[in-house]
Amino acid sequence: MIYAEHLRKEFQKIVKEPGLKGSFKALFKPKKETVVAADDISFHVPEGEILGFIGPNGAGKSTVIKMLTGILTPTSGECRINGKIPQNDRKNYVKEIGAVFGQRTQLWWDLPLQETYLVLKEIYEVNDEKFKKRMDFLNEVLELESFIKSPVRTLSLGQRMRADIAASMLHSPKVLFLDEPTIGLDVVVKDNIRQAIMKINKEEKTTVILTTHDISDIELLCDRIVMIDKGKNVYDGSLHELRENFGQTRELIFETANSSNITEEQFRNGLDLGGNDLVIESDKNNFKVKFNSRKLPVGEMLSYTLSLTKVKDISVKDADIEEIIRNLYRHGGESDE
Amino acid sequence: MRRIWKIYKLLAAQNLKRLMEYRADFLTGAISFLIDQAIGIAFIFIIFTQIPQLAGFTFEQILFIYGFSQIPKGLDHLLTDNLWCVGYFIVRKGDFDKYLIRPINPLFHVIAETFQVDAIGELVVGIVLLIYAAPNAGLHITVWTVILSIIAVPFAALIYTSLKIMTSAFAFWMKSSGFIIQMVYGMNEFSKYPVTIYSFPVRIFVTYIIPFAFTGYYPSLYILTESDPLFNIGGVIVVSVVLFAVSLLIWNKGISSYESAGA
Amino acid sequence: MNKLMRRYVPFAKAGVQSLIIYRLNFIGFVVGGLIYCFVMFYLWRAVFDSNGGGAFLGFSMTDMVVYLFLSNTTSQLIFSDVSNDIGQEIRDGSIVMRLLKPVNTDLSYMFAELGAIVMKLVVLLIPMIVGLEIYRFCTAGVVMFNIVNFLLYLLSAVLAYIISFRVNLCFGFIAFYVKNLWGIGILKNSIIGFLSGSLIPLAFMPDGLRICLEYLPFASMSYTPVMIYMGKYGVYEIIFRIGLQILWAVLLYGLSKLIWFGAIKKLCVQGG
Repeated sequence: MIYAEHLRKEFQKIVKEPGLKGSFKALFKPKKETVVAADDISFHVPEGEILGFIGPNGAGKSTVIKMLTGILTPTSGECRINGKIPQNDRKNYVKEIGAVFGQRTQLWWDLPLQETYLVLKEIYEVNDEKFKKRMDFLNEVLELESFIKSPVRTLSLGQRMRADIAASMLHSPKVLFLDEPTIGLDVVVKDNIRQAIMKINKEEKTTVILTTHDISDIELLCDRIVMIDKGKNVYDGSLHELRENFGQTRELIFETANSSNITEEQFRNGLDLGGNDLVIESDKNNFKVKFNSRKLPVGEMLSYTLSLTKVKDISVKDADIEEIIRNLYRHGGESDE
Repeated sequence: MRRIWKIYKLLAAQNLKRLMEYRADFLTGAISFLIDQAIGIAFIFIIFTQIPQLAGFTFEQILFIYGFSQIPKGLDHLLTDNLWCVGYFIVRKGDFDKYLIRPINPLFHVIAETFQVDAIGELVVGIVLLIYAAPNAGLHITVWTVILSIIAVPFAALIYTSLKIMTSAFAFWMKSSGFIIQMVYGMNEFSKYPVTIYSFPVRIFVTYIIPFAFTGYYPSLYILTESDPLFNIGGVIVVSVVLFAVSLLIWNKGISSYESAGA
Repeated sequence: MNKLMRRYVPFAKAGVQSLIIYRLNFIGFVVGGLIYCFVMFYLWRAVFDSNGGGAFLGFSMTDMVVYLFLSNTTSQLIFSDVSNDIGQEIRDGSIVMRLLKPVNTDLSYMFAELGAIVMKLVVLLIPMIVGLEIYRFCTAGVVMFNIVNFLLYLLSAVLAYIISFRVNLCFGFIAFYVKNLWGIGILKNSIIGFLSGSLIPLAFMPDGLRICLEYLPFASMSYTPVMIYMGKYGVYEIIFRIGLQILWAVLLYGLSKLIWFGAIKKLCVQGG
């Protein structure tokens, strides 16, 4: 369905030296620098899949999405979606996709929502019968009814996001690009939007590519994730696999009468655990031990700790995905093994 | 084609609705342009209190040229005002994205989005001046002058539009090209008066490089004197079509260099 | 004085910075003005030719050139955009932030512009004066530069700026009533352009109109300084004109304060 092959995008950036002198210099003799926003990005998404496309800020997620949607022209490499190259046949290509960029709306600011959809209906050449059916479906999934007569500028962020998603789905696209669709929304609204995305994906077999910073979006929605950092692919695989490969970190929290004498040194020397394999945080009565469970079984860690000090209570936390991803970002994708 | 017209009508109707909502704004805009025009005319009037003729033209003839030049200017202003925004901020802020993910020509889409009613000021003044000046400007109204002048107007407006397309497209490379549009557009001042008052290089410049002379003086000259329709009217058509083709070329090249905004 | 400076100099620096950041727009603005001057130059040349080529109501063609270019430069020098700034701030509500700062609101606007004015003085006015004097020397064969007139011009230009600033301040408050700031801007510029004589020297206007306009504050904004520079006024007239400028500066100061207090009340009612 979607093939990205060795996508690369370079930007020219003018470097300005600071201060007044720098400004004058930049005016007469601008110094240019090439910035690589995406470098050799390749992946494949089969039909009907929801792909989580993640990475830290400035990793090049938006650049890749914009190449896939035909907004940017790649410096080299190509993408093929449904057999079409976006840049070559833009007009026909965009009929098959829908895109929502969470940070900015594509709706007309002053138009009532209803009218916006009427304009889009003409732009995408949706016939009357199909339009009616479509609106009924979107109304049901996204609950637009209560604000469909209001001008876009008066909508709340959550309403606007739902309206934007509906706008991108009006022409029944085969692929939906969602760039940060839950950004800035509260928990309830986020949940609504996730439900809607799931429903659309299930009922219409729409392929979805989703970028997000919210890990719960990924846990709840995505079958697979592709992670990039500094413009490069760092991970491609299922969430389950990710947890298996990178999720060895365990966290134990001990409650004691007095934990001020506990030091990281003690654990390191006693257990022979190096750099990334162990972290200890402690305050007056509690201390937290994070460690690599492949290097040391949980039981051993428990008994060692109990031999050190008197413990009142213990709790064990499983590795959450957020932690794993943070680790991945930090190590640039090299597995701990 | 029918679809394009339908979309245009829809968007224009929305614009008119919005206008009703911000009535005071619309009035301010239209009145501002009207007063701006009135001052331009007062200027000519004051000059003619001191002299009987300017470069061989009478007061009414100068008014006629001035009035004619305002009609294509107003027409372009009415229809394609959004191009200014492309040059000033749509590209810079990355808002051009949305035009690229719609199955419709982005240039058409940008232009169709606004319908600038402020332009009424220019159009009304232009037409009123023509009606006022024509009887005393010594012109013969024939079927041909009427037909050719009506043909000339949209082509003359296309000169304005093409220059705006071209200069706003520079924003694709430079992020913001507002000042270039401003500079080039500002040269329309040259179109208000007979080009014979300018020195030779300036005349060549406003005829062939930034051809504003074809939006006012040349077509008016034909209407006033029936001389040289091939150059005075034919020139408008040829120059505008060539300029439009070049501007489309630059625009399309610009789109493939578009860098959007943000990471 | 020192304390005052320390408090307001940051505003002036910010003004210079923004002029540099928007330098391309500024260049566009200057070039646009020059193009306009050239159109006017050719137009007036044709007018002089139609009139037989000699002097015209006390203006020679050389005078006309000096008048056109210098009045355009003066208008740009004393140009105040404070009406637009205030308008924007009223619309987006950020004017509240300015009111909260422990500085005099008028002065903070004014210093932001002063930075830009100093820049314009160096890159615009000085080259223009040099150019015009070379032109005058070439056509007349003698040096016509008069240092006293130049200094008086600067004094009058300072007063012109104060008047322009106050007029703009008053215009800015229209934003409380009308949202189309852009239309207001066009209106303001064309009215000031005409009434200040930068379009046509007031001397060329019919007598009744001319006398009215000469007493309005707009004439003080570029006509008075330029006429002084050109040596068109005698000693008594110079004293009278500058006195008139001072009078207008004081009156407009009062008027803008009055509107300002009214506006703040309205702001409180609207809640920003």
